[in-house]
Amino acid sequence: MNALKGEYDLGLTISYKDIMEQHLIKPPVEIRYAQELDFLSRADTGKRPENWKLSPKAVRTFIIGGRVIAPDGSCMDISRKFYGNDALVERCIITLAGNRGLMLVGEPGTAKTMLSELLSAAACGCSTNTVQGTAGTTEDMIKYSWNYALLISKGPCREALVPAPLLIGMESGIFARFEEITRTPAEIQDSLISVMSDQILNIPELGEEGLILARPGFNIIGTANTRDKGVNEMSGALKRRFNFETVAPVRDVKLETQIILREANDLARAGHIDCPVDKDVAELLAITYHELREGTTAEGTLIDKPAAVMSTAEAVSVYFQTLCHAWYYGNGRMELPVLTENLLGAVCKENQDDLEKLRSYFNTAVKQKSTREGGIWTDYYKTSSLLH
Amino acid sequence: MDGLLQDLISPALIPNKDGAVLFFPIRHHSPVCSCQLERITARFKPELILIEGPENSNDLIPVLTDAHTRLPAAIYYFYKDKKKYISEEAEDYHCYYPFLESSPEYAAMSAAKALSIPAAFIDLPYSEILIHTKDFEGLRRMQERHSYADDSYLVNSRFRELLCQKTGLRSFEEFWEKYFEIAGLRLEPEMFLHQMYTYCSLTRNGTPESQIQADGTDVREQHMAYRIREKMQQYGRILVVTGGFHTPALVTLVQRPVKPLKLHKFPEEQQNCYPIAYSFEAADALNGYASGMPHAGYYTKIMQGLHEKTLPPEEVYRQLTLALLTETAKKCSRKDIPLSIADVTSAYSMAEGLAALRESPVPGYAELWDGVLSAFIKGERTVASSLPLDILEKLATGDGVGHIGDTSHVPPLISDFEKQCRTFRLKYETIIAQEAEVPLFGGLRDAEKSRFFHRMAFLDVHFCKRKKGPDLHRNLDRSRVRELWTYCRTPEVDAALVEHTTDGTTIEESCRNVAAKRIRAEFRTGTAAQICVDCFLMGIPLVEHEVMQEILSGDGDFFSLGQGLHYFDMLCELQVLYQTYDPAYRQWLEYCFSRLLVLLPPMAGVQAEQAKDCIRIFRLLHGVTGRLFPERQEEFRQALISLLMQPKTEPSVHGAVMGLLYAMDAAYLSQAEQAMQSYLMGTPEHRREGAHYLHGLFETARDIALGDGNFLEMADSLLQGSSYADFMEILPSLRLAFCHFTPSEIQQIAERIAQMHGIRDDLLHGTVYDEALMAFGAELDAEVMREMKA
Repeated sequence: MNALKGEYDLGLTISYKDIMEQHLIKPPVEIRYAQELDFLSRADTGKRPENWKLSPKAVRTFIIGGRVIAPDGSCMDISRKFYGNDALVERCIITLAGNRGLMLVGEPGTAKTMLSELLSAAACGCSTNTVQGTAGTTEDMIKYSWNYALLISKGPCREALVPAPLLIGMESGIFARFEEITRTPAEIQDSLISVMSDQILNIPELGEEGLILARPGFNIIGTANTRDKGVNEMSGALKRRFNFETVAPVRDVKLETQIILREANDLARAGHIDCPVDKDVAELLAITYHELREGTTAEGTLIDKPAAVMSTAEAVSVYFQTLCHAWYYGNGRMELPVLTENLLGAVCKENQDDLEKLRSYFNTAVKQKSTREGGIWTDYYKTSSLLH
Repeated sequence: MDGLLQDLISPALIPNKDGAVLFFPIRHHSPVCSCQLERITARFKPELILIEGPENSNDLIPVLTDAHTRLPAAIYYFYKDKKKYISEEAEDYHCYYPFLESSPEYAAMSAAKALSIPAAFIDLPYSEILIHTKDFEGLRRMQERHSYADDSYLVNSRFRELLCQKTGLRSFEEFWEKYFEIAGLRLEPEMFLHQMYTYCSLTRNGTPESQIQADGTDVREQHMAYRIREKMQQYGRILVVTGGFHTPALVTLVQRPVKPLKLHKFPEEQQNCYPIAYSFEAADALNGYASGMPHAGYYTKIMQGLHEKTLPPEEVYRQLTLALLTETAKKCSRKDIPLSIADVTSAYSMAEGLAALRESPVPGYAELWDGVLSAFIKGERTVASSLPLDILEKLATGDGVGHIGDTSHVPPLISDFEKQCRTFRLKYETIIAQEAEVPLFGGLRDAEKSRFFHRMAFLDVHFCKRKKGPDLHRNLDRSRVRELWTYCRTPEVDAALVEHTTDGTTIEESCRNVAAKRIRAEFRTGTAAQICVDCFLMGIPLVEHEVMQEILSGDGDFFSLGQGLHYFDMLCELQVLYQTYDPAYRQWLEYCFSRLLVLLPPMAGVQAEQAKDCIRIFRLLHGVTGRLFPERQEEFRQALISLLMQPKTEPSVHGAVMGLLYAMDAAYLSQAEQAMQSYLMGTPEHRREGAHYLHGLFETARDIALGDGNFLEMADSLLQGSSYADFMEILPSLRLAFCHFTPSEIQQIAERIAQMHGIRDDLLHGTVYDEALMAFGAELDAEVMREMKA
């Protein structure tokens, strides 16, 4: 929390109590897991890179979970927040402790953003120092802009300067997160090169005061997805300044089921939806997403992959929508026809062919499972008439 | 480590008369096991070293430790199950026992040599292991190559899975490297032995007894225990070096009487073993089957560094990490992946940082791999962008080839190879590539030389390659009378030849047996006929007549039979020239011919992309009928007519058949014209097919266009009746159709067309004008005429 106050007041000085009172939709990671971070900080005896709130080992524990024992003998089970490749998390941490930026790439919905938030929250105590890359992102939004009223009245001075995440990161010695970096035009992306090379930002209007040197702890975490349309290829010069990590989709159905349940539970709690999650439905949805993503069923039948993104995040969304429906319109029990309708909406977004692929998935894989396993799969297969 | 494994007391040392037996469990190719074995040998001062290995290869221990032998080397074992002890199939079996510098077994043999004490293998002979192994288990698993040094119990146990889970490591290799390879370097040998023993005992305890019995492990261990007890009567201090999985069982077994196993006796030609030079690639490929440490080159370099003793053990890992990163970056730069010193620095920092984070004193291979992945791959990791990792893997595999110093144990096949090289005066004692020119029809000696090269090429041992000469397989350069071969004897040639030891003791015998094996596995006439071509070139008569007959009668594929017809026809033709006679060729040719006539009519509906091959076979049938079976011409004609009676015929096939019928009987001209007419009168789609019809027709009877028929007029009307778009579509087929004519024939055709349209002859021979310019000129003329009229 202190890092947020730092040198600038970002108006984000919120506390755990605020969250409970204000019911924020999505509290920042450092707030959501404040207790864990606090405990880890107290228990952490490892070496910390300058300005880091935790040692690399503690950062790893915060992300992949584990039991932590503090020097005073107290103990806490830290929850696992990122599922998948633990070695990738370790590489990310070591990259950030070095002098290169970290670029997380991969298909949409693979928890790149979540990982970058977790890393920022654990290492810097702040996950909100973020630029969201879009086609309209300008250099002002990344580096700094001016308060024009002050600029006119007082001329170029620090007071009139409005720092953007990059400048905040440099001066506070914290990470600047750059989401969807490849959505911004190439020339805007390249404005990062000088900062990453020399760790200096020059503001000519401020004269001698305008030479801003980065404090230890500053680094950049970028995310870029490899599937979406409308992305701009990064220049070779910028790529050289990053270490790349490819975040792959979760390949384990059991793990995906767990993620769906956990995320849906969290969302339900945040939305005050007191409806029990259904493990069987989550497993069914995880299998559906897994098989459509891989193009093959557990039985080895080849199926057509839809063009739509079949990410775990999408699965969570479909599951949560079904849960909401059960809460607001139903009797509190998740209904399979509603799940199928939500699935239809999630899969058939852009491409009409996806509807046919989904239908053929039901007519082959789901039908096979309903014959062999019966139960929920038979009910699921009966909902295939809704796919039109 | 102690936190993970309980404090089990190692009982690896048991008393013996005037001394003790020390059991040292190892993992194959593990540098730390080798190092600790060397240290413990120096302390224990054994009088005898017993090593896990088939005891029928005891004679080869001095060959492996010979001063002139360079590793990697391997012992090659083979067994021919002539007496059907294993199965009714009476199959041949072979396996390798590879040795690298990092192999503890090699360290044990070298230590015995240095101490001037005996060393011996104590396991069952290879044949006995196979006899006691169930189908699809152990050395009888379904895989291309087998390694005697099998670590699958240590690597694939359930215990291993739990360990990886608990320690948060990705794989057993990562676990082994962290907790044994690196951490074990700083341990005292006794402590290392204790930890190894504990790990192996826990693995053993978690393995079901049924599995141990299925692959013959229990019988092997009993035999090893018997041998150890035998030696315990003669020696006081014995060091027993075995794979870690066996050690706990052996310690128990040697403490009570063991019954000896009755061993079978086999002549040398049924069971034997030879030392062979081996390569890192081959050793690494074997390791893919859990037969020891992976990355043979990487751990050999570690072992060399540890042996040099100029650096502290951990520093050896650091230096190698840096060296491999630099080498990978250099190789990447050569492949247009620009990597700088900064990238190498970043990758090294990553490796060091990860080692610190994972609480390992130095970066191992896992950290090195992570470093390359993170700092060298720019962008998303895909198959294409993973080249730096591929390069690293290749470097870690290593690329050297070993050498056997003592040449007194040469396998018979290599002896025969050398003998023949001497006969034909080939320079086989150099690794510099040589060339040999062989006149094909110069006499018996030259013919034999050519056959020798063809035999070596057939065995696929990478000894020789034909640069020039007739290629009967592809029907190219058949007019050449000389062959030019390049050849080079490398260690890989020896290794590959040894693999053929089970096929025969001479090159000729091996080729005959390999050809027989291949033909027995074949079911397509075309491919089987290619093997016949190989045998023809090798001067080896194919004796598998019944098998060939079965293939021919079982093959219902028109194209495969057509291929067979082509090869057998060629062989019949070349018999006199090559002085190789076999009446079977004519017999098989006729059989192919008969089968093809039966299968010919349904070819009317062949796919357009296969039409070309189909027509080629029709032409061949026509040629063969004329040359060899004139009495069957009517049969062929009837088959062609039956094809025309099919409801739908592919247009080019239709044309080709009409052409062939016309070639056999000129009376078919009118029918061919009528067919062309029907294409012309048809729908636009049929008109387009007309071009394909012409193409097929001209392919088999191009003189039809030059005779008195109306084909040119029809072709002309086809073009005139086509729209511009249709014309562009049929143009490639038309061009193909007319490519069958010689330049003078094309000239003749052009003159006739010119006459038809009243065009002056000189226009045919004048300057060629641009089509667009001509069109513009015509338009301009028309405009001028309009203006003038106005």
